[in-house]
Amino acid sequence: MSGGSARSLGKGSAPPGQVPEGLIRVYSMRFCPFAKRTLLVLKAKGIGHEVININLKNKPEWFFKKNPFGLVPVLENSQGQVIYESAITCEYLDEAYPGKKLLPDDPYEKACQKMVFELFSKVLTNKKTTFFGGSSLSMIDYLIWPWFEWLVALELNEYVNHTPNLKLWMEAMMKDPAVSSLFIDPKAFRGFLDLYLQNNLEACDYGL
Amino acid sequence: VTDDATRTLGKGSAPPGPVPEGLIRLYSMRFCPYAHRTRLVLQAKGIRHEVININLRNKPEWYFTKHPFGKIPVLENSKCQLIYESVIACEYLDDAYPGRKLYPCDSYERARQKMLLDLFYKVPHLTKECLIALRCGRECADLKLALRQEFCNLEEILGYQNTVFFGGDCISMIDYLFWPWFERLDVYGIADCVNHTPALRLWIAAMKQDPTVCALLIDKNIFLGFLNLYFQNNPDAFDYGLSC
Repeated sequence: MSGGSARSLGKGSAPPGQVPEGLIRVYSMRFCPFAKRTLLVLKAKGIGHEVININLKNKPEWFFKKNPFGLVPVLENSQGQVIYESAITCEYLDEAYPGKKLLPDDPYEKACQKMVFELFSKVLTNKKTTFFGGSSLSMIDYLIWPWFEWLVALELNEYVNHTPNLKLWMEAMMKDPAVSSLFIDPKAFRGFLDLYLQNNLEACDYGL
Repeated sequence: VTDDATRTLGKGSAPPGPVPEGLIRLYSMRFCPYAHRTRLVLQAKGIRHEVININLRNKPEWYFTKHPFGKIPVLENSKCQLIYESVIACEYLDDAYPGRKLYPCDSYERARQKMLLDLFYKVPHLTKECLIALRCGRECADLKLALRQEFCNLEEILGYQNTVFFGGDCISMIDYLFWPWFERLDVYGIADCVNHTPALRLWIAAMKQDPTVCALLIDKNIFLGFLNLYFQNNPDAFDYGLSC
């Protein structure tokens, strides 16, 4: 039992003890997509681990000693070594533990995965500009938007709270006249999706 | 004279042929700090390579087949494989080529160097903004303050570790990844930003003793000549200081 479903630790909680030998600990949060990356790799590689969930809205003071940025995921091993940043934790686990390698051995193939990841990260963090093409909305924003519109239609857009720049971008997009005039009605979308998943031939005409 | 002392290729230039076997090609520009990282790794590992400098203000049309946005650095090998993003290119070279490993072997130490790189991410942007502000005659006290704060963070790391270099007592990948921006502090006019960080100044001095760093040190006057032309929007800036 990995403890992935344990209550989170928050302010005032006692710091956890040393990590037992033979295990690695991951500080996580059940709904954080970045921490999910690390949990996936732990599971895929069959690595013995324990999970401590952190209340990200009410962080324990001791947690900043693990990661000065106060973010999850963080790995801690029995030697007290701490690793943070989701991509770094994943690569560390792949290198440090035996079994199936998730990153390719070939240096070029490995570099390709990292190049794709960089592009994906740029979409997620969107650090530099308001819109993906610069300071005003352009083609690339319309090309990316439909997948994020799905998040809104499925009422899952809360999850971009972890990526504030992306959240700001979504809010800016929803003000765009083209985007708002074509906005999917969440009820209609749910109706469509239900029928679609049942392979109902009428799915595409739901609501007409 | 470094091996990248060749004229840039610009619009209308003929695309270069395939990379000969046994060589790797670097698309670069003599004054670019990101490309500098890759040149440091090529030098440190003694990798046989050729450099093609790109005119960044007048990019050859064929260059967009090497990188979708026409950025540098890009590595191209004899199998026509392309690798871009300076950090990814540096890691690729360390993985693909034998001899001295620049990243540590220990997985935790490798992870630590990657975490350190994250601490550095504001430095390139801040140094560039300071340079632009100074060159345009604008005030940059706020920018310099922000840069000094970043340097304080790096100072703390050196203090906590009590080592000369960021990876330990010997120079390693992380030091080469940081170096290009520190080499440019003087010529950018912001060398005073390390006034309050003695460990960082010691690191700079130690880096200047490294044979790889030394082999690629850019002459201050040539750099200043480049900057003068660059800020006048002169497309010949990138070839400044070349004898041919």
